[in-house]
Amino acid sequence: MKKKHLLLAGLLTIGMFSSCNKDKEDDTTTPEIQIETPEYYEFSRDGSSTISFSGQTDRLNMGEELLGQLTDFSQSSENLLEMYANQTATGEDANPFADADLNESTKSIKSKVAASADFFSANTTESAEIKATIGSWIEAQVNEVFPNENELAAVGVAGQIADGSSVRYVNTKGLEYNQAVAKSLIGALVVDQISNNYLSPAVLDAGDNRVNNDAAIVEEGKSYTTMEHKWDEAYGYLFGKSTDATNPLMTLGEDSFLNKYLQRVNEDPDFAGMASDIFEAFKYGRAAIVAGDYAVRNEQAEIIKEKLAEVIAIRSIYYLQQAKVAIAANDMGGAFHDLSEGFGFVYSLRFARKSNSTDAYFTRAEVDGFMDQLTTGNGFWDLDASTLDAISDSIANKFDFTVAQAAE
Amino acid sequence: MKLTNSLRSLSICMLLGLFLVSCGEKDESSSTETDNFDRTQMLTDWADIIIIPAYQTYTTNLDALNSSYSNFEANPNETNLEALRLSYFNAYRSWQKVSMFEIGKAEEIGLRNFTNVYPTDSDKIEENIATQVYNLDLPSNFVTQGFPALDYLLYGAADSDEAIVLLLQNTNYAQYVSDLLSRLTALSKEVLTDWETNYRTTFIENGGSSATASVDKMVNDFLFYYEKYLRAGKIGIPAGVFSGNTLPDAVEAPYSATNSKVLFDEGFEAVRDFFVGKSFYSEEKGSSLSDYLAYVASQNESTNLANSIETQWTLVTSKVNDLSANLNEQVITDNSKMLAVYDELQKAVVLMKVDMMQALNIQVDYVDADGD
Repeated sequence: MKKKHLLLAGLLTIGMFSSCNKDKEDDTTTPEIQIETPEYYEFSRDGSSTISFSGQTDRLNMGEELLGQLTDFSQSSENLLEMYANQTATGEDANPFADADLNESTKSIKSKVAASADFFSANTTESAEIKATIGSWIEAQVNEVFPNENELAAVGVAGQIADGSSVRYVNTKGLEYNQAVAKSLIGALVVDQISNNYLSPAVLDAGDNRVNNDAAIVEEGKSYTTMEHKWDEAYGYLFGKSTDATNPLMTLGEDSFLNKYLQRVNEDPDFAGMASDIFEAFKYGRAAIVAGDYAVRNEQAEIIKEKLAEVIAIRSIYYLQQAKVAIAANDMGGAFHDLSEGFGFVYSLRFARKSNSTDAYFTRAEVDGFMDQLTTGNGFWDLDASTLDAISDSIANKFDFTVAQAAE
Repeated sequence: MKLTNSLRSLSICMLLGLFLVSCGEKDESSSTETDNFDRTQMLTDWADIIIIPAYQTYTTNLDALNSSYSNFEANPNETNLEALRLSYFNAYRSWQKVSMFEIGKAEEIGLRNFTNVYPTDSDKIEENIATQVYNLDLPSNFVTQGFPALDYLLYGAADSDEAIVLLLQNTNYAQYVSDLLSRLTALSKEVLTDWETNYRTTFIENGGSSATASVDKMVNDFLFYYEKYLRAGKIGIPAGVFSGNTLPDAVEAPYSATNSKVLFDEGFEAVRDFFVGKSFYSEEKGSSLSDYLAYVASQNESTNLANSIETQWTLVTSKVNDLSANLNEQVITDNSKMLAVYDELQKAVVLMKVDMMQALNIQVDYVDADGD
């Protein structure tokens, strides 16, 4: 409740200030704001860096551990769910991680799943459903797939299937739950937090953020203003595991989440420059915050939102189309692996933000429709090229690229 | 060159279209671009003078391996261990001659995955042996069977030959070796029998030009073998091409690593022989990809791509000659020689995967896995 009041107060303040700003502008002799964009993502105040996103790095690390353990057949669903929530089922403190720092952390993956200000602050029903859906896949991995560790997968039978010389473990419909979890978190955690939360004016401009940022009033005991920090938290979800986060494009692909798939998209000549466009927008937008130019900040935020939506859409189509090729070659194991990754990316479409809009590119109903098409009947065992093409077309139709461009 | 050719046929059709109302139908038949090369003859030669003889030799050598093992079981000593190892190596060499033919029954049962996935998982092999609970049909047991597992058991499971002779007399170990040999034998015979009784006809009769036609499938299998198993598996992966750091233990047969280069040589020879249609038994040559490319070149009055590919392979050979017989040691002492071989092998991938496939109008039917 208290938060809401603050937010309301903040909006009122902005309303009042906007007229003041105008007066101010008229008085100012040099209305041009100088934005100094650095070469690398480096910002400082009085000699200390103002950049911090350790909470984001923690959550990415939690995600990495969870993914690693999802195919450890000695794991219990209890422990895996504790890794998801970083607490017990009853809300007690838990120590599920091998990395002690993560156990100490107050952060968790689950609390930030489908938890953005723009999409879910007044839609806690759907937020709870999404959190539960991802949790249910984690549980099903233990309850449905683990018992069939040494069975051959078949129609309606969970178990092993060969993908080349690798082994995949699938449910009765051919889905790898671990892939579903991994790729869904790219949308439900990473992109939702970046595009629908930290880059949202509702968050960047909450409370006295603008006033404080204009006056360079930093958070208590910190070197950054709240607005600077919010922007950096968005940055941290994409580059929080980079060896050198000030220059992350040199080593793109260093996590199992969005960073990795940004690299994959960036490698496709049809989308060359995607990573650099996003990095430059992050830098320029951050520099605009330092300069107090919120129009430029918002423009850059919209660029990032658009590009990240494209990354998810491109990878969704990519995997569905790769699966089509594998099915044609009668390589079911290869097809199921592609489809499992594609399934998670399609689930992530729900969080892909349309730029300059309050909406996602895809509604809940549209995404649910795709999921139904993928899993109806015997699921992946029954899928044919026409269904995969139809879903691919529906996705590509909303963007400026073609299925063919995304497919390879 | 193919572009100009298809442009030419397109413009002819467009001209015809001006005069003929029913050009649409004609257009379709010409757009499949069926040439007059005798694909059936090529398929027949592939089956009769290369593939079936190669499988016959492979199964014969597996029979010999089984007898060597029976001898060893009857008289377990170091002399018989050496004989057993020799039979194992002969069988492994002849496997290299059939590995690329992952088509028909071999494809259906996944022969290559059950025969030669390496590096093998010695811990899991030991676990299987200790628990005596294992299902060799499972994909998770690709890494505990076939030649790589035998390599471990016959060379690496104990510190000395004497100790290996002792170890293999242990009932559980003996049972495991016997299970691996029976499985290799049964799978190879299943494939050979199918070729001899059934698949030869299917293979030859499917002589058309489409994604599922025998020529298109076989050429894809050939290319896939060359790219993934010969270039990457035997050379590129241990040389660290894909990982950044070298992986000397990822060579084929690391426990008897002095054999590893020969295994490459056999595979490379199989590739070259298949390409030029050389008979498995003699210097006789049948109809081949090389002939097909020469035919296409003469039709288009273009350069014969077969010459470029074969020239490239002589460059591979000159680099292979610099390698030690022990590829594990080669990676450790001077990996640059491995990389040099890789680079020459790679140049032929480009010639085949792009130029050859285009010249023969065959679609590549496999994709590069993105590695996750």
